[in-house]
Amino acid sequence: MSEKRDFEPRIIGFLCNWCSYAGADKAGGMQRSYPANVDIIRVLCSGRVEPQFIISAFAKGADGVIILACHPGDCHYKEGNCRALQRHTMLNMMLEQLGITKERCRLDYVSAGEGEKFIRVIGEMVETVNKLGQLKINHGNGEN
Amino acid sequence: MKIGVYFCNCGTNIADKVNSDLVAEAVKTFPDHHYFVVLDFICSEDGRLQFEESLKGEQPDRVVVAACSPRDHENTFRRCLINAGINPYLLQMVNIREQIAWVTESPVVATEKAVRAIRGSANRVVLQKPLEKKQLEVSSDALIIGAGPAGMKAALSLAEAGRKVTLVERTPFIGGLPVRFEDLFPAMECAPCMLEPLMADLLHGDYAENIELMTMSELVELTGFYGNFIAKIHRKPRHVSLHDCIGCGECIEVCPVSVSNEFNSNACMRKAIDFAFTGVLPNAPSLMEDICIRSKGDECRLCKDVCPMGEDVIDLDEVASVVERRFGSLILATGASLYDTSQLSGLGMGTLPDVYDSMQFERMLSSTGPTGGEILTADGRSPESIAIVHCAGSLDEEHKPYCSGICCQYALKFNHLISEKLPNTSVTHYYRELVLPGKEAHAMFEYAVNNKNSTMRRYLRLSDIAVSCDEDRKLHIDCSGERAFSDMVILCPPLVPAEGSSELAKMLDLGCDSFGFFSELHGRIDSTQSTIKGIYLAGACHEPMDIKHSILEGMAAVGYSLAGLQPGRIVETEPTTAEIDESGCAGCHLCISVCPYRAISFDAEKNISRVNAVLCHGCGTCVAACPAAAIVGHGFTSEQIMAEIEGALK
Repeated sequence: MSEKRDFEPRIIGFLCNWCSYAGADKAGGMQRSYPANVDIIRVLCSGRVEPQFIISAFAKGADGVIILACHPGDCHYKEGNCRALQRHTMLNMMLEQLGITKERCRLDYVSAGEGEKFIRVIGEMVETVNKLGQLKINHGNGEN
Repeated sequence: MKIGVYFCNCGTNIADKVNSDLVAEAVKTFPDHHYFVVLDFICSEDGRLQFEESLKGEQPDRVVVAACSPRDHENTFRRCLINAGINPYLLQMVNIREQIAWVTESPVVATEKAVRAIRGSANRVVLQKPLEKKQLEVSSDALIIGAGPAGMKAALSLAEAGRKVTLVERTPFIGGLPVRFEDLFPAMECAPCMLEPLMADLLHGDYAENIELMTMSELVELTGFYGNFIAKIHRKPRHVSLHDCIGCGECIEVCPVSVSNEFNSNACMRKAIDFAFTGVLPNAPSLMEDICIRSKGDECRLCKDVCPMGEDVIDLDEVASVVERRFGSLILATGASLYDTSQLSGLGMGTLPDVYDSMQFERMLSSTGPTGGEILTADGRSPESIAIVHCAGSLDEEHKPYCSGICCQYALKFNHLISEKLPNTSVTHYYRELVLPGKEAHAMFEYAVNNKNSTMRRYLRLSDIAVSCDEDRKLHIDCSGERAFSDMVILCPPLVPAEGSSELAKMLDLGCDSFGFFSELHGRIDSTQSTIKGIYLAGACHEPMDIKHSILEGMAAVGYSLAGLQPGRIVETEPTTAEIDESGCAGCHLCISVCPYRAISFDAEKNISRVNAVLCHGCGTCVAACPAAAIVGHGFTSEQIMAEIEGALK
């Protein structure tokens, strides 16, 4: 990993227990380094992620949020990932209104076997948020 | 509150990247009272003992273990808590190996990330509450629907294990589809001979007393849940006592009315009181109420009067009834049927004589069938040539895109049986692909290929084949510009779900795939479990399959039933489920609509929803959906997750 930058994005990652959390463990098993900016919160299902968690993460200092789910059709709980997708779509509209660009809140799919993909998605997310810079919430004035 | 933070070095796996001294310093700054212990390999026998001793000595209120992935050792460490007299759900693990030490290059950065993660967990664990597994008495009995190979095998095996089984069968007989066949692929084994011992065991074997067979019966209502189902079963009157009838058939002789026999493809007649076909078990005829002239007001009682076993065997006044049974698991073994080949344009089914589907041909081959096993055209001739069309609607986007995996094998079986019965008759196989899996089917293929009377012709699309008929009743088969003549055409269509499957699925609220087969919990690792806990799928009701696999699946379903439900045993349910706060619930039903497991029901009296902890899998989708925040996801409450986020971002 490169030396510390002036700005180190702080990102919260919600990972479902069965696919993407296992995918992150898989990446661990591969022992390949990736940026340490994403703090992982384990949930049993991506469908458990309340929009309030995401808003709260931004309010408490996160510059980005990533939700990683099972691939469509592979959800351990049949369709929780579909709920996550629906909520994410709705939430993004609201975040835009709050002045948080939707690139700061990403939903993607990582299976238990996709250690490589996990590393790539995390790298992309960190890069994206790094480019967007620190999130400044000006109590209603939005992000400039 | 006293929180124990345990740090596992995992040899050098974690210690190389995460500096425990710096973590210890950081932990001192956390709110609440924390103590910090570094151990090597907590998962090892020594490590677990040290961990347990420390827990016993310190008696913390909450425990954080920073080590490997909880997917590895959460259960191991929970057991340590139990051994130390602490509720296991007061543990929170931090994955500092797979998700930090192994994937972060700089030890400084890794240590910082570990501190954030441990702080998040320490923040969260404070809000965790002791949880208890719920205990529930269950019934170990089972209900099985369908008395074909899968259902019979399941019933017998459960009965042998001492379970009470109710076996519900829609037709008047047991044995399913194969009992209607003469010989079976791949070994040309006699089907009734193979099934007879199984059926005899079921009816009169050592464990038969554990099996309650209900023929001419159907499930009409199911309530309850895994371990505690209650079913209502509709029983049509058979009018003949299975217990007292000896199967002599004297009643059949005297019966004055006849009707075409659906169990012989309507190719012959049966009496109103009759066997479905010769040799069926249970060995007792049944009376078709709507055909019997008594249904038209006649006072006929010839059958009853002629019965040599007395007055009580035939009950002309028997009426339909609905009975209730309580049981713990339900096995669906409702089987499959053939795709309706009249849907295949240009192949002549239903419009031309002597075009048969494979089931009609199986009955023709059978010694108990309409022709007594003789292969005869509709006008009574021995055919000189027979065409067999494989994939008649399979591998076809317009009909069924899948391969049923059995048709090629029975088509080659037909080749064998035709050449035995009619050594001079030519057989032409029209096939798209040949599917002959396993170690035995090749023998039938070799037989057909070496049969001087048989020809294999490949075609590309079903539309390349057209069947027509000339004035001499000779069938023409045009295939890719070439014309052949045939006296008989046999169509081998795909297997489709049995009639009534979609209604049954709807009643049980069971998922179906796009073809109408019952959905599996998982196509590979849980293919005999349905999407509803305690309802198992065996045989062709969820996917086309042969007898061997149906029987295996009957056993697999039994395995689930035996493993999960034991007499006298209490079933423990995970406490990490959802629970609805009655005072907060507005009765909006949203949770019910998002629950993938039918675990939430509505209490109309109180106008609230209620989660059944046995059925809940703890996914938390309802928790996230509830607009009133009235649902608690135990072990993953909103407050706990928020606290973890806050701790990580501090």
